[in-house]
Amino acid sequence: MKYSYNWLKELSGTKLSPEKAADVLTMHAFELEGLEKAGQEFEGVAVGKILEVKKHPNADKLQIARVDVGGAQPLRTGYGTPPLSTGEGDKDGLLIVCGAPNIAVGQKVPVALVGAKLPNGTEIKATEIRGEKSFGMLCAKDELGLGEDHSGILILDKSAKVGQPLAQYFGEADTVFEIKVLPDRAHDAMSHVGVAREMAALEGKKFDYDFDELKLSAKKSKKLSVVIKDKKLCPRYIGTVMENVEIKPSPEWMQDRLKTCGIKAINNVVDATNYVMLELGQPMHAFDAEQIQNHKNKKTEIVVRRAKDKEKLVLLDDSEIILDENDLLITNGETPLALAGIMGGKDSGINENTKTIVLEAANFHAINIRKSRSRLNIKTESSDRFEKDIDPNLAEKAMVRIIEILEHTANAKLEGVVDIYPNKIKPWKIKLDLEYVNSLLGENVTQKEIVKILNSINIHPTVQPNKVVCEIPTYRIDLKTQEDLIEEIGRLRGYEKIQPQALLEPVEPAKKNEQVFFERQLKNTLANFGFDEMYNYSFYSNRDAEICGLGGIKHYEIANPMNPDQELVRASLIPNLLKNVRQNLKHFESFNLFEIGRVYYPQNNQAEEKRMLVAASVLEKDKDADSFYSMKSAVENLLESLGIKGVAVSFAETKSAVAHPGRVAEVKIYNHAVGMISEVNPAVLAKYKITKRVAMAEIDLEKLLAVLPKTKKYHPINKFPSLTRDISMIVPETVTYGEIEKLTKKIGGQLIDSVSLFDFFKAKQSLAIRITLAAKDKTLESVEVEKVMEKIISSLEKELKVEVRK
Amino acid sequence: MTTQKIAGLKKQFLEEIEKVTTVDALFELEKKYAGRKSEFNEILKNLKNLTPSERQAIGPLANNTKNEIAALIEAKRQALSGQQNLAEEKIDVTLPGQKQNIGHLNPISIVRAEIEDIFTGMGFEIADGPEVETDFYNFDALNIPADHPARDMQDTFFVKGENLTMRSQTSAVQARYMQLHKPPFRIIAPGKVFRNEATDATHEHTFYQFEALVVGEKVNVGNLKHVAEVFFSEFFQTDVKVRLRPSYFPFTEPSFEFDITCTMCGGTGCKGCRGGGWLELGGAGMVNQNVFVAAGYPRNKYQGFAWGFGFERLAMMKYKIDDVRLFHSGDLRFIKQF
Repeated sequence: MKYSYNWLKELSGTKLSPEKAADVLTMHAFELEGLEKAGQEFEGVAVGKILEVKKHPNADKLQIARVDVGGAQPLRTGYGTPPLSTGEGDKDGLLIVCGAPNIAVGQKVPVALVGAKLPNGTEIKATEIRGEKSFGMLCAKDELGLGEDHSGILILDKSAKVGQPLAQYFGEADTVFEIKVLPDRAHDAMSHVGVAREMAALEGKKFDYDFDELKLSAKKSKKLSVVIKDKKLCPRYIGTVMENVEIKPSPEWMQDRLKTCGIKAINNVVDATNYVMLELGQPMHAFDAEQIQNHKNKKTEIVVRRAKDKEKLVLLDDSEIILDENDLLITNGETPLALAGIMGGKDSGINENTKTIVLEAANFHAINIRKSRSRLNIKTESSDRFEKDIDPNLAEKAMVRIIEILEHTANAKLEGVVDIYPNKIKPWKIKLDLEYVNSLLGENVTQKEIVKILNSINIHPTVQPNKVVCEIPTYRIDLKTQEDLIEEIGRLRGYEKIQPQALLEPVEPAKKNEQVFFERQLKNTLANFGFDEMYNYSFYSNRDAEICGLGGIKHYEIANPMNPDQELVRASLIPNLLKNVRQNLKHFESFNLFEIGRVYYPQNNQAEEKRMLVAASVLEKDKDADSFYSMKSAVENLLESLGIKGVAVSFAETKSAVAHPGRVAEVKIYNHAVGMISEVNPAVLAKYKITKRVAMAEIDLEKLLAVLPKTKKYHPINKFPSLTRDISMIVPETVTYGEIEKLTKKIGGQLIDSVSLFDFFKAKQSLAIRITLAAKDKTLESVEVEKVMEKIISSLEKELKVEVRK
Repeated sequence: MTTQKIAGLKKQFLEEIEKVTTVDALFELEKKYAGRKSEFNEILKNLKNLTPSERQAIGPLANNTKNEIAALIEAKRQALSGQQNLAEEKIDVTLPGQKQNIGHLNPISIVRAEIEDIFTGMGFEIADGPEVETDFYNFDALNIPADHPARDMQDTFFVKGENLTMRSQTSAVQARYMQLHKPPFRIIAPGKVFRNEATDATHEHTFYQFEALVVGEKVNVGNLKHVAEVFFSEFFQTDVKVRLRPSYFPFTEPSFEFDITCTMCGGTGCKGCRGGGWLELGGAGMVNQNVFVAAGYPRNKYQGFAWGFGFERLAMMKYKIDDVRLFHSGDLRFIKQF
């Protein structure tokens, strides 16, 4: 919210400069998001009147204005500044080239004279623009440091005096404080009084004007009656009738303050409601008494009720809204006048002929206001405050203030008041344990200091042994617990006073999180193997799910996705990794990627969350499923690094919708499936516009962790020599290497140390294996070896129908 | 006679081998003195025709000489081959190395590991919770009741038709951990979080946070400052001071905004901290008693502090990264720099 520093200063009596006050507030109360000068010194900028506008002969988008600056003297900056008299007739006005489209003869505008230095750094010089001389600059708002607007030249009020320094035109310079008031203080601090209270407390000052003692006039209205049908949604309603109202512009000082706070001035009545809202935080509304009269019974009655389903209302901004039973209306007993606490209706507002007004200061149920305004998508200064929950007692203070103001600014007379307030909110008490204050803050704040701090924010505690009893002013809705009060003491005193101190609890060895360190180990190993780590969103589209064959899995859907591409919660890491592949193929020929992350889907009415590893490889050239085999080797190496190798690992043919049907294998460890390696199905790749072959591995990390050996075990190195024998063979198409290796190991039994492939010609269906044989207890004799080899060869020939070359 | 012949052959051999400079010449020499048709071989072959006494006199000599010659030839061969081949094997050492790909971790992983190690060293356990979280742990247990504005659609991704959200902060781990553990304890909970927020250079809807939670009977604001200063000083390898400012979060009371002294200028003011000397890092506070109660602890028995910081912010500071979207871009031109 925007605050006027001058206003805060008037209320709080602060002696601090705006900058210093901003610092103090930030450190002790609220964060200042911005601090902007509302009136600069504007040195060298004067009010000018446009006498003539003509087109620039050499530039379509430029114009030349002749501007009367009333003899205002430019600043002389010395060298390089040509004397003004060289300008064509400064007695008839200065010629100024201007690019803005919004200037017209007769307008009053800010003119930066030669020598002026603007807040944005621009220095004004006499110059020539496309052959036309220019002796100054007409300024837009942003050039004067008055905001961001650069849509056109700032047009000043008609009453502005030609030649007057701009600073005088704007009056006393103000500073706009943009303060971020968080929800806990929105009850009271979205107001100048609220923030000024903080400033006064921090400087040990007292308010001159006692807002807390404002009491509503006892004069009952004879013209107005008020009925609240739903007292939960409207705990209080004060209606006031004022007569003989003269509708006219507000005094300038009031208009300035509204403007500083970003609110447009309209007329004295509407401005007064806004002014009081800015001052005290109570949104108000003014009705034209004549307009709201019930045409049937000629009574001026306010009835606060829930809307009927589908009931309609045209708002001030001409929009028509359709209501339901959860919306609250202000009605005249018959037709709706306003959407309670959010926005007034079109037909009930103040116009220039208004004579008698009904003023509203009410209190509405915060959550209900929020629900209505978010459903109807309307956000106003009023709803902003009501939805944060405000003190019903504030309505009374606000009503007193607006009556006081309108008596002055509109010569209005109070006819009378109606106040419906069935459940009066009274101050509540909190017992504050003094030892707890220090235990939580880690400080030694004395009782005296605590009492002094609480007094400064209008909490006047009663001292008891080891504690104080605090009576909380009703506008501090946020103060409910001891901790709330400890926060007040801590922040007002200053958190910087609290000394860092080591924890008293003994340090014990942290319990190791296996999963976290397992994932870290995997990441490091994969990086060592040349895999780069991807981080992807946990979302993808329905199309992604379909393409990657995940359509059959029930996905969680996001109710409010960022965009349709992110509507599903991922049940697989594959789609997004394929997008990474496509993206990186623009810049790289070959790469290896991986992601370790979680996938989620509903299972047995519960959120199943799995930790997965997915890797993808693209090679520069891929002739005979090279990328598949390179991925397989990477997976084998990864498993070996975890202590899983040899007979523990096996690969078997399997099926997967995302995989090439002939190039996919299930990875098994001790016969438990933990994942899959595959080449991605070319049809899937085509849908992602990937033109190279992509090999992929997917591993379920929980399953892997479950079969992981806890420790690695040393096996004694064989003391006896080993022998190698090669078998070269021609293999029928249906027989796999895996079968050959398996059979060889089975027949060779204990004597087999290892079997490996050492030659492979796919075209000729021929391969050669090398068998290493050894015994653990003796040197093998060649007779034994030859016997085993014969058995192996004959089994291969018989069982697998291979043709062994001899 | 034969003895002289052997001596003569040896002398002749020694002279000739001196002159040999190539492997080919050596091969010829070997053929001449040790080959099957060499004179020497003839002598050896004829040994069997000698009388036993002659054989005894000449045999060892012939054999020794033969071995000597063989050894000299071998030595010469090694000398020759060494010299020649090494010279021939000169390479261009400036040619690029044989390409062995090295992979790279996402900088968030790097920063995360560093942070986990520092906290593990300080006796903190690493805790964890699900990323698709129930409304209870993401909101209710954090003192954010059903009608609280923090549950507004614009802040959180909700799962359609379920009481589930994409967790909006790692604080969701707090109640999960506390339900299973009794104080005193100290944990961090690193992980992925989600906010329904338009992305730009400084905003991401998916990011990584780490929660710190320390609970005991007397844990206080001073402890929070101390732990934070020790951690950040270690992380940035420079002396870091912490500054707390008032703030508001439903799950802490008091609540703080958390600044550290600028890691570039040390707090004197520079471009990096826009002259202020401080860098904003995130939110912290003393655990709200309602959070303890929701986790099953008695009210006002324990005190604790908690904070949540983004890994991205720390990684951006550490590596001078200027666009938060890079972390999830999947762009190898980015990842390969780490």
